[in-house]
Amino acid sequence: MRPLTLWRYEIRRTGWTALLGPPIAVALGIAAALANPQPGDTTTARILLGALEMAIPLAAGVSCASLIGRDPAVEIQLTSPTAYRVTLVRRMAVTLGWTAAVAMLMAGVLIVTGWWDRWPASHGPVAGQLTWLAPTLGLSGLGFAAGAVLRSPGGAGALVTSVWAIQQFFAGSAQENLPGRLLYLFATTRGAVPGDWTANRLTLLGAAAVLIALALVVVGRSERLIDGEDE
Amino acid sequence: MRIEISGLTKKYRGGVAALDGLDLTVPTGMFGLLGANGAGKTTLMRILAGIVRPTSGAVAVGGHDIATGAGRTAVQRTLGYLPQDLGVYPDLTARQFLDYVALLKGMDDRTTRRRRVGELLEVVALTEHADRRLRGFSGGMRQRVGIAQALLADPQLLIVDEPTAGLDPEERIRFRTLLSQFAGRRTVLLSTHIVDDIGQTCREVAVLAKGRLIFRGTVEELTRHAQGRVWSVVTDGPAPTEGTVVSALPQDDGMRYRIVSPAAPSPEARPVEPGLEDGYLAVMAR
Amino acid sequence: MTVFGASLRYEFHMQVRKRSVWIVPALILVLFVLIGGSLLRDLFDPRERAADPRTAVVALAVQIFGLLAIGFGGLLADRFVRDDRLRVAPILDATPASPGARLLGKYLGTGAATAIPIAVAYFGFATAYAVDAGAPAALGWALAAFAAVFVPGLLFVAAFALAVPMVMPAPLFRVLFVGYWLWGNVVSPDIMPTLARTLIHPLGGYPLAALFDFHGIDGQDTWAGPIPGATLNFLRPDPTPALAWLSIALLLILAAAALAGGQALRARRLR
Repeated sequence: MRPLTLWRYEIRRTGWTALLGPPIAVALGIAAALANPQPGDTTTARILLGALEMAIPLAAGVSCASLIGRDPAVEIQLTSPTAYRVTLVRRMAVTLGWTAAVAMLMAGVLIVTGWWDRWPASHGPVAGQLTWLAPTLGLSGLGFAAGAVLRSPGGAGALVTSVWAIQQFFAGSAQENLPGRLLYLFATTRGAVPGDWTANRLTLLGAAAVLIALALVVVGRSERLIDGEDE
Repeated sequence: MRIEISGLTKKYRGGVAALDGLDLTVPTGMFGLLGANGAGKTTLMRILAGIVRPTSGAVAVGGHDIATGAGRTAVQRTLGYLPQDLGVYPDLTARQFLDYVALLKGMDDRTTRRRRVGELLEVVALTEHADRRLRGFSGGMRQRVGIAQALLADPQLLIVDEPTAGLDPEERIRFRTLLSQFAGRRTVLLSTHIVDDIGQTCREVAVLAKGRLIFRGTVEELTRHAQGRVWSVVTDGPAPTEGTVVSALPQDDGMRYRIVSPAAPSPEARPVEPGLEDGYLAVMAR
Repeated sequence: MTVFGASLRYEFHMQVRKRSVWIVPALILVLFVLIGGSLLRDLFDPRERAADPRTAVVALAVQIFGLLAIGFGGLLADRFVRDDRLRVAPILDATPASPGARLLGKYLGTGAATAIPIAVAYFGFATAYAVDAGAPAALGWALAAFAAVFVPGLLFVAAFALAVPMVMPAPLFRVLFVGYWLWGNVVSPDIMPTLARTLIHPLGGYPLAALFDFHGIDGQDTWAGPIPGATLNFLRPDPTPALAWLSIALLLILAAAALAGGQALRARRLR
């Protein structure tokens, strides 16, 4: 176990987006729920769960897309006996840990206040945590892998936001076929086939694992990291 | 810590060979590396530091083969590295930056780490500015932070690329003395364009050109390369076109040129004693 | 060469050489073809596609623009702050070149470079459709849609993408921008207060409705104008061609204001 001080430094390195993104996402979700003029608790509950399933993963995904590239001291990092990929994993853990803390707090409040159950497809308080966890890890894995391959936080962030948006714009056609349905990020609040929910969540977790592993392999080629980012 | 390099080649994308079959042995102590821009010095240092992988050839540092992951990590445990273009985290203070690098180097014990960071801040004369953010540091101050981070883990191998760039003359002299004292039983590989820094600190030197070794020997041997090739010419006319002009000094009766050339550049030229810089230019001109 | 011309030219070249400017829209298009496959298939299916070429290429414009503008904004988000990060700003600031001309050149140069893949995608699909449907008029409509919908919308997005990262980190801008894009373009005004269907609608609701008489592929949708009971209806007058031009002008004025704000902020920080 490395000293806590090291983690404190890595928290500073993850940046303001990682810190501010999840709370802003929650705040916007609550604002949207408050602004909802449609009658009925179900719609409001759906918007609140939507903040967990849509807004929080987007913030985490873009933050993870910004982890690789623009490290001013990358050359010193690469010559230290602590492997740079371990440092990047630490920074990703900080980003995701904070995201999880905010998401669990919101989920807890929704469960306690009864809003959680007012959305019929909420899947209970335990398994239901996959509502935010699966898309968060899916988009974060995509962002991290895109960052490693493109070496451009701008490009990787643009890819994450575009993938998120394409699934919003084409929710119906994205879920028409099986592979698309299993990789759909918003299966809890916009899912077309409720029976596929568990398989969908597990597939997203699996995809995240594959993407993170791919990113770590790519990052292992240290030469690419000092070639400079795609400016 | 001895470095043994044989047949080292590094080709970048597009087929550009930064190093082309380099053979070199670097013994314990201070060792200078000279060469023009693009000669392959930085690539060599990055390979030794484990950042860049060679295309072919073998490199052993203190008996560790850097082609293997375990070998690279073993070298990095005993390595201090100061890159040519040092980047720092501008939001950290000098003390915090050194503390962070010390943690990355595996110095987990807080007391030891704090003491070492304090000592090095003193060595590079930054104690007074230790708690200021690096954002506001001048180029020279940043460079001193870079020097301090390289010395953190009491390295057995110190690789420094243009370490005196941005330092004022006093700082430069202080730093090269520090390097010489530090070397002792360790290996210090010093790459620089400032030939005088090598002359004042290193016993042995290598000169690279286009990725190849064109000279390897003592500083005196490098200087001797220019024996009989250094000339002084005073003229109020145009500069001589023969040879390489080392310096041009205004005089009352015209301009005094110091020239490195195999033959006298003009009938009035008279031979003078060579210096290290002349030796370097003579080797480069071959 | 003028300062504006030089800035435009070099900013264009630097941006167009970025791999991600090409890779990101290409990957999004691949996903679009895979996910929105039926929408594209309809374009090349005589039984499914819109009866007239104008509706077909304008519908295509809405889809391509609505989707690729997100990556466009994300890719531009660091271009203004980049000069400071790469430490070239002091060199540029020390030249006699006017900062305003430099910013304008950067804005149009980087914007144009990032828009090229979008234009290639749109005109590529439109040309394929024109050939397939034997409707050369489609290309004329595509050009008109590009001028009246893509250009003002992209200029609007580019201005905010350059200016807003002066006050927040670029990644945070990307998160908020995609949220805004969804909210300000797609969310229906009867769900929550939104700028969708107003005169400030970057997807071009008023030009689509009033200049292209576009009401969705099936002719049932409306893209501009009031919705009973919705807030901000005062910004949603019934669409007319004059209001369509006003909507375009408003987008350009807001873009200019954003740029001027970014420039003023930078000048204040330098003082």
